[in-house]
Amino acid sequence: MEKLLDCVMDIGEQMLVSGGEVHRVEDSLKRIFTAYGAARIDVFIITSSMVVTIHTDDNRIFTQTRRITEYTTDYEKLHKLNELSRNICADRLSSAEIKTRLAEISGSRTYPLWLEFICYATIAGAFTLFFGGGYGEAAVSFLIGGCIRCTIFFCDKVVRNKIFTKFISSFAATLLAFSALKLGLIPMADLTPTVELIPTADKIIIGNIMTLIPGIGLTTALKDLLVGDSIAGMLRTIEACITALAIAAGYFAVAVLSGGAL
Amino acid sequence: MTAFEMIQIFAGFIGSLCFGVLFNIRGKRLAAAAFGGFLSWSLFLAASRLIPNEPIDYFIVAAAVSLYSEIMARILKTPATPIATTSLIPLIPGGSLYYTMTSALESDFNDFLGKAVSTLKLAGALALGIILVTTLSQLLFKRIGRRPEKPKKYT
Repeated sequence: MEKLLDCVMDIGEQMLVSGGEVHRVEDSLKRIFTAYGAARIDVFIITSSMVVTIHTDDNRIFTQTRRITEYTTDYEKLHKLNELSRNICADRLSSAEIKTRLAEISGSRTYPLWLEFICYATIAGAFTLFFGGGYGEAAVSFLIGGCIRCTIFFCDKVVRNKIFTKFISSFAATLLAFSALKLGLIPMADLTPTVELIPTADKIIIGNIMTLIPGIGLTTALKDLLVGDSIAGMLRTIEACITALAIAAGYFAVAVLSGGAL
Repeated sequence: MTAFEMIQIFAGFIGSLCFGVLFNIRGKRLAAAAFGGFLSWSLFLAASRLIPNEPIDYFIVAAAVSLYSEIMARILKTPATPIATTSLIPLIPGGSLYYTMTSALESDFNDFLGKAVSTLKLAGALALGIILVTTLSQLLFKRIGRRPEKPKKYT
């Protein structure tokens, strides 16, 4: 049973890391242990920690805790873990089997890095158009989006701090957008319904902010809160707010340094 | 439908598709998520014609798209959240967040407050719409879908 607990904790941990909600992970763990006939199951999960205690029916008690420090949204992994936990409930796999399946899942493929660069650039470009920018602005935004991914890449190598990375990325995005404006690289708005004759960096910055914004963090946070996982929800809300502040701070830093010449 | 709206819908689709790739969604699930991006902005444009109130539109669209992702999730046997979050990407109020920041920078306090509140309203409406549907579907599926599990001793 102890080995089994260890394996199942691994599943829960991986689910949480790859973007599963607290509610889902708690539910999966409870179901799995119920399938193996635990007499009592106590699961407590918040975004940064897991505590699980199970009582077996021959009166033994096992407890394990896990500390979770890093998240990388990987919904493919979440999908596979979800499948695995269904299989476990249905077929009651042995702990060795679970181990091999888990190893398979954590070794599963991700999209190549270059595609991520293209995606960042495309998102920035697409949302510049979306918020009323012209094709020229979208092209500039596309290039800046690629640069932002580079910035994130190097920031992650130097400091492993998400808040700082967001600050630097937002700083870089704003700086690049304003430089493009100053150099006259931004063509006149050609698509905006409200006729604007002065080129602005607004739409380009918005497009790039869309790649950085903690939109999903905030929605998950509110969801956790309203479903009743108050502590997890509050932690996520605070995280999302701080991230948003970091993005705003990056923008303000450029604006203030340039002496309000916007 | 104006040309600008068509561009918006297309951009929403592309945005959701690319975010789907960043979140490592694959195959049919990626197609479902990207189509959701297309769906969410089309529905928003339609809703805003009928009801000229942004937060309410956001709420309706969020609920509708969550319903769509719950259905797709059942079909594709996968969690609904990845599809829902990726589909709703075009509704993230990035623009109004930006204009809130600019008005803070211009130290126009009234303007800032108004914009901050409206941004929060949009985010809140989005979350409420999602929660309404996910909670309801969870309740429903708990009632109908759960078969009794026979516990077996683990050896």
